[in-house]
Amino acid sequence: MDWILLFPILIPIFTGLVSLLTKKQRVGETLALMGMLLTFAASLAILVLGNLRFQIDWIRVSALRISIDFITSHLSGWILVACSFFGVLITLYSLRQMGGKAHLKAYYIYLLWTVGFANGAVLSNNLIVLLMFWGMVAIMLALLIAIGGTAAHKAAQKSLIIVGGSDFAILLGVVIIWHLTGSLSMTDIKIPVSEPLSTVAFILLMMGAITKAGAMPFHSWIPDAAEVSPTPVMAFLPAALDKLLGIYLLIRLVLDLFVLNLSMNLLLMTIGAVTILAAVMMALIQKDLNKLLSFHAISQVGYMVLGIGTGTVVGMAGGLMHMLNHAIYKCCLFLCSGAVEYRTKTTRLENLGGLGRTMPVTFITCGIAALSISGVPPFNGFVSKWMVYQGMIDFGGSLGFLFLIIAMFGSALTLASFVKVLHSVFMGQKPKTIREPKEVEFTMAVPMMILALLCLVFGVFAQLPLTYFIGPVLGMAFGGLGENLQLTGMWNPTLATLFMLISLGAGLLFYRLGNIKHVIEGEIFIGGEPIDEEEVRIPGTHFYNTIESTGFLRVLLEKGKSRAFDLYEIGKKGIRVLSLVLYHGVDRMIDRFYDMIRILTLELSEWGRRLHTGILTTYVLWLLLGITALLLLLMK
Amino acid sequence: MDEIVKGIFYVIVFPGLIFSSTLGLFLCWVDRKVAARIQSRKGPPWYQCYADVFKLMAKTMILPRGSRKFGFLLAPLLGLSGITLVATIVWMVNIQPEKSFMGDLIVVLYLLILPSLALIIGGSSSRNPFGAVGVAREMKMILAYELPFLMAIATVIIHTRSILLGEIIMTQSLKGFVLAHPSGVLAMIVGLVCIQAKLGYLPFDIPEAETEIIGGTLAEYSGVSLALFKVTNAMMLLTLPLFLITLFLGGIRFTLGGIVGNLIAYTVILLLIIVVKTVHPRLRIDQAVRFFWGIVTPVAVTGLILALVGV
Repeated sequence: MDWILLFPILIPIFTGLVSLLTKKQRVGETLALMGMLLTFAASLAILVLGNLRFQIDWIRVSALRISIDFITSHLSGWILVACSFFGVLITLYSLRQMGGKAHLKAYYIYLLWTVGFANGAVLSNNLIVLLMFWGMVAIMLALLIAIGGTAAHKAAQKSLIIVGGSDFAILLGVVIIWHLTGSLSMTDIKIPVSEPLSTVAFILLMMGAITKAGAMPFHSWIPDAAEVSPTPVMAFLPAALDKLLGIYLLIRLVLDLFVLNLSMNLLLMTIGAVTILAAVMMALIQKDLNKLLSFHAISQVGYMVLGIGTGTVVGMAGGLMHMLNHAIYKCCLFLCSGAVEYRTKTTRLENLGGLGRTMPVTFITCGIAALSISGVPPFNGFVSKWMVYQGMIDFGGSLGFLFLIIAMFGSALTLASFVKVLHSVFMGQKPKTIREPKEVEFTMAVPMMILALLCLVFGVFAQLPLTYFIGPVLGMAFGGLGENLQLTGMWNPTLATLFMLISLGAGLLFYRLGNIKHVIEGEIFIGGEPIDEEEVRIPGTHFYNTIESTGFLRVLLEKGKSRAFDLYEIGKKGIRVLSLVLYHGVDRMIDRFYDMIRILTLELSEWGRRLHTGILTTYVLWLLLGITALLLLLMK
Repeated sequence: MDEIVKGIFYVIVFPGLIFSSTLGLFLCWVDRKVAARIQSRKGPPWYQCYADVFKLMAKTMILPRGSRKFGFLLAPLLGLSGITLVATIVWMVNIQPEKSFMGDLIVVLYLLILPSLALIIGGSSSRNPFGAVGVAREMKMILAYELPFLMAIATVIIHTRSILLGEIIMTQSLKGFVLAHPSGVLAMIVGLVCIQAKLGYLPFDIPEAETEIIGGTLAEYSGVSLALFKVTNAMMLLTLPLFLITLFLGGIRFTLGGIVGNLIAYTVILLLIIVVKTVHPRLRIDQAVRFFWGIVTPVAVTGLILALVGV
């Protein structure tokens, strides 16, 4: 009985309950920060202690046994730490960014509870308990989105329906697993995906996992939420926590719960490749910073699913590492977006520009995160993408190569859309509509700087996460780590960075050798014309119009814009059709039936009425006819 | 420690920065001379490109007012460091194919983006509207040529079953050149068109387009920073054909016949690039995108399919 396992779950929940009682905003904020820090400390302690278990029986109905069963593994320990870590950063950041907004008390309580429930989901060993926490996180997500005001309610509802629907899929999968194995304890289950029933179970659970992570086709709640919800919420859930949880479950499914066959691998890889390409295309044409980032939050899941789908050691290691890296740089990007929004009150790309001069910290952290997500060496995104590519080459086959090309091209498209972001927001020229913005305050800058630093550290010293986090996780499943994960030789990030720095230094020497004593400042040159800042300002929003209007892409993108690929919208249409069918097929049918009986009764009675005319001769005639008929019968 | 010192020597002196830039600037002269002869001009003397660089280094540098100076000055360094590493890796795997130096094919592909990224960062921080137009065009060119280029590279990977440059060279010396396959020929053609675009040479010099957007991304550059861009481009002119030879023709052979063969192959590729550059007018950006996605990509796909069925 290791009671410490309850701490990361109960501390944030309890702190949230306490701050319900407080009146002053300051007290609530301090409590939230304290709670997050304590949770982080508890998570770290659990990671260090390792191999803990907490188990008590909860429900026992004949064969069904649900026990509250928490267990740590290497993987869950790290995910736990990461969840609490992002909790601390987001709380610290929100102190300023969310300042003065409505429902602040609720906001911090929801943040705390989200961390608590997420930790619970990660620690649970029992599938039903896991599902319970999993569902709670989904509810918290909807509540946090709804903090954005009445405009956000629709997006919150959408996220609740989609994520909730996926929870239902998990429940169905869990029922099938129980039917197959008679156990709900994750450590006892190991099902080969061979017969139809286990395939269905895997697909159902996988749907739940990738919906949480935000892969296509269950992605559409993320862009909708991005437009209306507070930016820290986006940085916290869809960018960081949901990825950690979704990919955590996926890797557990693939490594522990099931033994995959080739077709399931291909299914996962196809989902990954389609997600990468389709989402990044949509990101390319967005004109709102948060929405653009949200499409990347979808697109990057593709790399994780693709890597894990290969089933090779390198691919899986790449997928896992990409999850961690993504959480870091995407969280950082959303925080930068929040900083821009905080100072300029807008996230529309065409209304921004030239902020790099007055907001250098935001600019540099955003630049580092943007280069990381585009996979430029030596930042962290490059390492994990490189490993995913290696995984696909190991997987081989013509499909492996197809997916490799898609993934690499997706990376070029990612770079393209971040060129647009950096140009539109930080470089380029400042529009007259925004006043000269100042750099954001310390408490907002610190989380961004920490994350940008992590991007750099995990890129240059990629051995660190590989040795301490990913190696042991996969080493267990693949029986020894092997040479597969040794980066040296093929890509030695530390050495390569050193060489890169040296060649940068050599370039600097060029500057030294040249004439740098006489540097003068001049007006920008536009053919000798006088400059009208507004007139010659080129926002990045029109960068890719040529591409948008080229061939088949135009059709696809227009369809994408009009939400033709949104399952939720399709589902809404489907429900409309279904209700029409029900209306005409069942509702109206009953009406018709009732009408028919009514009409029949009327007709019959009319007919009967006609018979009873009251005229004696008619009655006599009927009598005669009757007697004739009788006589004829009797004569036979 | 010894390894690191050796590595630094490789990167800075041979075959990295100093060696490649010197040879590259010489090739830059070849380029200008041949172009001049085609246009019935006399052309510059052999030292012209060196003289240009030294002259630029002595010139006063003009920084555009209100630009992001850090990014503006860092950009040329970024491009130079990218191409230096690519040049070092490509030369080193040719010299020692059995030893993989620092990176494989994927690393090279990513490092090759750095010079283009440098132009983008520089143009974008210059605050010049022509720079912004150049940035958009440069990025669109990357998107246009990257897809067929990746497919051409994938063709090589399928034939050699490896993504280590050294192994690609060794496989080819055992089993014959990739170019010997019909799919290899298609991929090589695609590769040639793509490096023309990577170099930013006519008909694909759309991001610079002196006559329309006065140099685009380079519009505000002067003095040393401009010289750095010129050196970067010269190094690309040296390295990219060598990269293609490594992928499709088994790299450099250090035998007499091998070296003569390499020189002939290299000269043919270089002349092809220069002639295409000299006799073509500039395309519009939409034409270029349509050309790459509508014509080059299908060719690359054909090559890829042929390679997958083993031809």
